[in-house]
Amino acid sequence: MPVVLIDAHAHVFAKVSGEFPRQVTDTTPADREATAEQLLERMAATGVEKANLIQIGGQGVEHHRYLLRCLRTYPEHFRGIGLIADHQHPEEQMDRLAGDGGIIGFRLFDIGGPRDPLAPMDVRTFETYPVWRHAAEKDYVIWLYPQAAENHCVPFMLQAFPEMTVVYNHLAFCPGDGTFGRDEAGRAQIDLPIPPQTRYNTMGLHQYPNVCVMLSGQYAFSKEAYPYKDLSQWHGNLLRTFQADHLMWGTDSPWIVQDPGYDELVRVIDAQLPESKAQDRALIMGGTAQARLFSR
Amino acid sequence: MTIPTPEERQFWEDNGYLVLEQAMVGKDLLRLQEAFHRAAADCKEEWLQGIARGTRPAAHFDIPNPFEHDDVFIDLIDHPSWYPYLLDFADGELILLGPQVRTLPAQPISYVGWHPDVPQTNPLHMKVQIYVEDVPADGGAFAFVPGSHKPDAGDCPKPRPLDAMPGHIVLPGKAGDAILFNSYGWHTSMVNATSLARKSIILIYERWTEGRVAPDRYAAIEDRMTTTARRKLFGLEPCQSS
Repeated sequence: MPVVLIDAHAHVFAKVSGEFPRQVTDTTPADREATAEQLLERMAATGVEKANLIQIGGQGVEHHRYLLRCLRTYPEHFRGIGLIADHQHPEEQMDRLAGDGGIIGFRLFDIGGPRDPLAPMDVRTFETYPVWRHAAEKDYVIWLYPQAAENHCVPFMLQAFPEMTVVYNHLAFCPGDGTFGRDEAGRAQIDLPIPPQTRYNTMGLHQYPNVCVMLSGQYAFSKEAYPYKDLSQWHGNLLRTFQADHLMWGTDSPWIVQDPGYDELVRVIDAQLPESKAQDRALIMGGTAQARLFSR
Repeated sequence: MTIPTPEERQFWEDNGYLVLEQAMVGKDLLRLQEAFHRAAADCKEEWLQGIARGTRPAAHFDIPNPFEHDDVFIDLIDHPSWYPYLLDFADGELILLGPQVRTLPAQPISYVGWHPDVPQTNPLHMKVQIYVEDVPADGGAFAFVPGSHKPDAGDCPKPRPLDAMPGHIVLPGKAGDAILFNSYGWHTSMVNATSLARKSIILIYERWTEGRVAPDRYAAIEDRMTTTARRKLFGLEPCQSS
């Protein structure tokens, strides 16, 4: 059976314009672009057939214009993950963005629950509860990159919505206060222990049928150069615990285009999991994303 | 009465664990509970900051360096309710590896799956779990698979959910109960589905082997190592005289 390669976590953005407004940052200045066509070219050169595009450049509906255009133009290649401006009243924006079918889920960086794990936990009081509730109703995916301070709140959300498809971003690392830095190229460098201490609240989530982990962002968490061998044992732990049908590979393009290169990222799972079965690698490199993102 | 009795020893060898009901009671237990709560209150803010930085787990709250907080934690190590058992099971050559003074928040998932702590190639490794407050079966109680400590047990299964483990038993208990177990055996902490945190202390021991413990490890409390037996237990002196 041929292996379909799917890059399950990549970003595209256009130069700032009236047609495509977006917020700017040090890494996404107004005159920078990382277009869908550039990504498709790299994908074609490396045998990657599809990609899941993660919104960047703002949470407002208007900030999603470029992403929506890419999804409409290349529906056979792309699915998308949006952002939400108002977590307390998210329903209209979620449905509006997902209306064309290209956006299949929404990314959260916060949970909005107590930072004290010993505090009473009532998910209905969590700031993002309306997002989770609506996602459960409409079968949207939650693309999750929580802070370490409130990762312990996630299991309570899953207890409330046990069938929810939740994809932990970037190896299930959860950034901590004061851990964020930049490398020489201006990319995120997040100084956390390997393996992450948040694993004690994350690994047990394998008991929920639709909790997945994205194998991506190695450059940000490794203390080494490509192929980031200090993360190999952690990749193995994730595979043993979640199994390949709950793991997805992503490049986090365009942040890896210069270092180490898109083609190198296509081989990163081979380097991280050299002893894994071919069928498991096929699932990680695309089979899981096809089943859980593209075949919805 | 000898400790252990022949029946207790046989049960330990067959099953890999022993339950000592009300191993601590009365003022003894009250002193422990008060010290536990005081130390936890003193250390909680540092724990929360560590969680936020991503350097401490949120799933369990361990008091750092508990021996330096209160002598009650030192006195647990050779407590007469369980120390004679451990000493006997280790043929008199016993060392302490460390304590875990642990608060376990309520969580819909357990922080740990089924596992042995060490392989059979490791020297005999034993733990004592002391319930500081009552622990119901759904309150993060200790669970064990009787007989799984034996060399022919094979690989530990990883069932999901935890209660799918064949042959396991869950050991709820009252405050002051203690559970001794052989750490070759498969064990876990069940889900704490209550609204209250579990409070327990886990003491970790091993059969003495040369070089296993650094003599300066417990230097900060050396003045409380008042007997030769205690100095050996804490690794300040070798167990063997030769």
